[in-house]
Amino acid sequence: MAQAVSVRDLWKSFGSGWLWGTRNEVLRGIDLDIEGGSIFGILGPNGAGKTTFLSILCTLLIPDRGQIRVLGMDVIKRGSQIRERINISSGNANFLWSLTVRQNLTFYAMLYGLRGRDRRKRVDEAIALFALQSCADTPFDQLSTGMKQRLALAKSMLNDPEILFLDEPTVGLDPQVSAKIRDQIRGIQRESGITIVLTTHNMAEAEYLCDRIAFLKEGRILTVGTAHELKRKVRLGDVITIDYEGDLAPVQMEKLPGIIDFSMSDGSCQFVVDSATKRMSVILQGLWGAGVSVKEVKTSETNLEEVFIEFAKRMDEDPCLCI
Amino acid sequence: MSLRSEWTKILAFVFKNLTITRGNVFSFFEILFWPTVGLLSVGLLVKYLQVGPDMTAFILIGVISMSVVQVCQIDIAYVLLYDVWGKCIKHEFIAPVNSVHLILGSWLIGICRSGLIFTLLALFSSRAFHFDFLKPGIGALSLFLVGLFLTSALVGITVCILVLTFGHKAEVAAWSLVSLMLLICGIYYPISMLPAPIMAVAKLIPQTYFLEYFRSFYGFSSDLSGFLARGYGLALIYLGLAWVGLELVIKKAKRTGMLIKLSE
Repeated sequence: MAQAVSVRDLWKSFGSGWLWGTRNEVLRGIDLDIEGGSIFGILGPNGAGKTTFLSILCTLLIPDRGQIRVLGMDVIKRGSQIRERINISSGNANFLWSLTVRQNLTFYAMLYGLRGRDRRKRVDEAIALFALQSCADTPFDQLSTGMKQRLALAKSMLNDPEILFLDEPTVGLDPQVSAKIRDQIRGIQRESGITIVLTTHNMAEAEYLCDRIAFLKEGRILTVGTAHELKRKVRLGDVITIDYEGDLAPVQMEKLPGIIDFSMSDGSCQFVVDSATKRMSVILQGLWGAGVSVKEVKTSETNLEEVFIEFAKRMDEDPCLCI
Repeated sequence: MSLRSEWTKILAFVFKNLTITRGNVFSFFEILFWPTVGLLSVGLLVKYLQVGPDMTAFILIGVISMSVVQVCQIDIAYVLLYDVWGKCIKHEFIAPVNSVHLILGSWLIGICRSGLIFTLLALFSSRAFHFDFLKPGIGALSLFLVGLFLTSALVGITVCILVLTFGHKAEVAAWSLVSLMLLICGIYYPISMLPAPIMAVAKLIPQTYFLEYFRSFYGFSSDLSGFLARGYGLALIYLGLAWVGLELVIKKAKRTGMLIKLSE
């Protein structure tokens, strides 16, 4: 797959005050490549620079410096052509308050040059795709938060984008609606094969949706990889604790595939593995092969949140450790 | 880039302004009620003061032209203000549209509305105050109206520039810029009455020349000359500058993050 987004040495700061105000650096030298046809997540706490980063990719913001290419085009020189082929949906969706769902979608479809039957068809499809039929003629300010979010997603699909940017798509939604929105995002990506770049501070959401993830903190990318890779990088994989009887040679165990870390104490050993479900049978076979009898097995999974905290801690200790 | 697709993008802003204002009671007041009340009250005052038909013409031309400019420019100002109030301005700026689509679309609907208002007010003033707006002829009237529409575009773009620079704080410009013009460019009185420095400013406003041009058909002489050439010349120069200004302000808003701030 070709690269959908390529970012080199991106810096962005915002000034405060008129003449002698201070400048707040929001993005600090970001390098990032996003492969086409995948869901890429940008994770980070509030104020990490996620929305700023996405806004630059969408041509809503001009960077201070850096080379940013979206679909192979420079965001500064060819912004208009990029905008034809991308779209964005943000959490806390806002639209023209007195226009109905259909009128809002019609307006935005017209902004993409869609006309006549083609426009009506595209609007109807978007309404159907996000199950907005029941409120198609309801003004925006009378919609529930979940419906507003669905409208935002429907609007973002009007021009059949090649890259869809989602800025905190489930923020402020209750867990049930969030789960539905996540399923819809996944469904869209599977059916159309488009590239989705999403920002979130919800680690579970990122783990569920994203093929690859970048951790962003204080305007820097801490690391990039799949959820498994990230867990491996900080050696914070799933933990399997086994109580046993017999003599066990540690060297034998450390060589097993998928083992990130291994430790043992009296009658108990602890494996840190990339995936507990994947590695359990190999470990048990290894133990049995070593002539050890297993008394009890306990597993605990590491989530991305712990990984992020570990990366952030390491960055605080040594800021040069990024990526 | 097909012409039909570009035309659709322009029409999108016609659709937006038309749909928002349709059935909106405040829009009715802004577009129809206040201009009519303004004309009626000034017309009755003129009648009470028993001024002659020439002075009546002088004042009614001023009042009606002001309403035309106000109604037309407000559509251009509102094209951004609706988004600012709805906190959704960023959606338009991530769509493949530019300031030309935005201004032309809203100007078009402004011209239609203010053209309608002009027709209604002209008919009303003809009935109520026996004022003949067609006396200068269709050609002169058309040139006068086109001048007013250009002036409206100028005021509307200026409001957009202020909104994108100062955000919500600049909303008031949508209503106050026209009132400021009312003071300076000779709506109710000839600009020769103004103190010299303010008269110098009045001579820099295209509307002054369009008013003098149209009033000349009703027998009013003026110290100014070359009304149309100066009026159109100034309007076109200012429009060019305003357009460049708008582009620069959009670029600045993308640097400072104003577009995102206005969407939060």
